[in-house]
Amino acid sequence: MKFIDSTNFERLLKKLFGEGELFVPVRDEETQKLHIERIEEFPLPERTALDGFRTVETMKGFAQLLRSTVAEYPSPDLDETDADEKIPTFIVVGARACDVAAMELVDKVQVEGDFIDPFYKIRRDKMIVVAADCTDCGQSCFCTLVGGKPWPEKGFDLAVSKVSGGYLLETGSERGEAIVADNADLFTEPRDGQEKMREETRQKVLKKVQEANRDYLPAERITAPLREKISDEAWVSEVARCVECGACTNICPTCYCFLLYDMTAGEEFRRVMAWDSCQVTGYARMAGMANPRPRLTDRVKHRYYHKYDYLPQSHGAVFCTGCGRCIDTCSAGIDMRKVFRSVLGAAAK
Amino acid sequence: MKNPYYPIDTVVEDIITETPTIKTFVLKPAQPFTFKAGQFMQLTVPGVGEAPFTPSSDPNVTEKMEITILRTGKVTDALHDLRPGAKVGLRGPFGKGYPMDKLAGKEVLVVGGGVGLAPMRALLYALFADPKKYKKIVIKFGAREPAELSFRRQYDEWRALSDNISLQTTIDVPHPDWDGHVGLVTTLLEPAKLEGLRIDDSYALSCGPEIMLKFVTLKLLEIGYKPPQIYLSMNRKMSCGMGKCGRCNVGHYYLCVDGPDMCYDKIKHVPNVFG
Repeated sequence: MKFIDSTNFERLLKKLFGEGELFVPVRDEETQKLHIERIEEFPLPERTALDGFRTVETMKGFAQLLRSTVAEYPSPDLDETDADEKIPTFIVVGARACDVAAMELVDKVQVEGDFIDPFYKIRRDKMIVVAADCTDCGQSCFCTLVGGKPWPEKGFDLAVSKVSGGYLLETGSERGEAIVADNADLFTEPRDGQEKMREETRQKVLKKVQEANRDYLPAERITAPLREKISDEAWVSEVARCVECGACTNICPTCYCFLLYDMTAGEEFRRVMAWDSCQVTGYARMAGMANPRPRLTDRVKHRYYHKYDYLPQSHGAVFCTGCGRCIDTCSAGIDMRKVFRSVLGAAAK
Repeated sequence: MKNPYYPIDTVVEDIITETPTIKTFVLKPAQPFTFKAGQFMQLTVPGVGEAPFTPSSDPNVTEKMEITILRTGKVTDALHDLRPGAKVGLRGPFGKGYPMDKLAGKEVLVVGGGVGLAPMRALLYALFADPKKYKKIVIKFGAREPAELSFRRQYDEWRALSDNISLQTTIDVPHPDWDGHVGLVTTLLEPAKLEGLRIDDSYALSCGPEIMLKFVTLKLLEIGYKPPQIYLSMNRKMSCGMGKCGRCNVGHYYLCVDGPDMCYDKIKHVPNVFG
C-alpha cells in the first residue's frame, strides 16, 4: 500500500492521460450525482470527485459498445492486430466495487469458455481500471445484499481510498504494479493512522448500506426460493406498471444481451451489434410471430430469473452487484428489492 | 482472432420446391463444412439479415449442404425470392446436435411435423448411414395437408433401405388427394401404431412447432416414455450462436450452445417451456 497526495494523484492521471483516453467521475452541480466524463485537457475539472458512490453511467460501454459494426461484407475478416492498433487504452478512474465486480461477471460470458468475443476482448484488455472506495451510499445501493462491499477487493489495476490530503493506493494487477513502479517518485509510504482512517470510513459506509437494506432479502434467500412455485398474481401485481422502456437493462452493468442486425450500404452490408433489452415485446419473438415470452410479466420475470437463478447455474454467480441503477432509472418506480420481498415473501422466510 | 460474426461466402446452387411454402436450398460454401445432425447454421441473405436453420442434408456430405426453409418472415421471404447462383453467407455450425451415441443399439422413434421434418431428415441420413446399428427406426411424419409433407419423393426409398425402418405419415384434416391416415401426428403414437416398439429400450426425438412438441411430449409421457428418453428440437430465435446475445434462453440453457435439441428431462421444470 502507498500514499499519494492529491496533487501527485492529478500528476499521475496526467501521465496516464498521455497513454490513452482518460475518464473520471465529475459531480453534477445540480443533482450532486457523479457522471463519467472524458477528459480533454488538464487540469481536471474542478468538480472531479472520487468520493460519494457510483456514477450514473456504468463501465460496460467501454468494453461492449452501445452500437458497433462487427462485420463488413464483402471485406476480409477482422484483423486482430489492426483493430488492436485502432482502439486506444481507456483509463477509467473512480470505478466502484459494484462496477468492477460487474465487469468481472460480464467477462465470464464474453471472454471465458468456448467462445470469445474478439471485439469485447480487445476493448476489455485496453481498460485500465482505477477503482475507488465508496465514501457514502445512495438510496438505491444494495451491494451488501449480493455479497459485495462498498470497496473493491479485486478486478482493478489500481484502487484508491480517500484519506485526508490524498489517497491510499493499492495495486491489483501487474499493470497496476508497473504504473506504481514507473512513477515511484509520486508515492510515499502511508503515514500512521491513515490505514485506520480508511478502515473507519469503510466500516461506516458498510454499516450504512447494511442498515438501509435490512428489510430486504439477500441473494442467498432469493435464488432457491425462486425455484419454488410462486403465484403468478404476485408477480403481476408487482410489475404490471412496467412501461417496457428497457432503461433497467441498458443501465445495468451486468446486462450484456445484444441484437445483431444487417444494414445495407450500397453493394455492401454491415453487421451491427447493439445493446438490446429482454423487456421489450419483440426481443425473443421469432419469424411467424411466435413469442416464448408474450406477456410483460413473463419478460420481467425472465430478467429477474436470469440474474438470480439462470446465470448462477450457467456461470456460477448472481449477475447483480447491487448498484441500484435499475431502481433509480425506473420511470414506474419498480424496486427490485421490493419485488423480491413481496413476491418471495413467505417462501424466503 | 477469428471474427465469429463474419459469414463464409456461399453460393445457392439449386433450389428445390418441396411444398407451396417450403423450399430446399442446395448450398455450396467456399470451404467444406462439417456438421453433426441437429446442429444449426446461421444463414445470411446479404443486406437483409441472418436467421438460424438446421441443415436437412446428410451430415456426411461436406462440400454441399441443403437447408429446407419455410417462408415465414423477412429473411425467409428474401430466401424464397432467390434464384440459383445467388450469393449468401453461412456461419456455424452451432449447438450440440442429436445424441447419436445414445441412440446406438436402441429403438429410435422420430416424430416430425410441418417444416420440422427438415432437421429430422439430417437425423435420418445419420441413422441411415448404418441402419442396423439401431434396433428399430420408427418414423412418424405429420403435416396440415398432403402438399405440406416435405420429401415425399424419398419416403419409399427410405422404407426400402432396411427392414427395421418404418415410416408412417398423417395429415391433420381430410383432403381429397389423401387416402392415408388422418389426424394429428400424436394419433400415430398410439401403442397399436408403434410397430411393437419397446418403449423402455427407446429414445424419441421430435421436431416441429412448439405447440406440436408440447402435445407430442404429453403423448410420449402417456405411453410410457420417461423424460430422459425424450429429445425435443427447441428452436428459438438463436442469433449469435455462442451463448452471448441472450435471445434463446430456455431456463439457464442457451439453446444455441446447449441445444437446440434438448433432453426433456433438463427443461421440464422451466416455466412455460413450450412458450
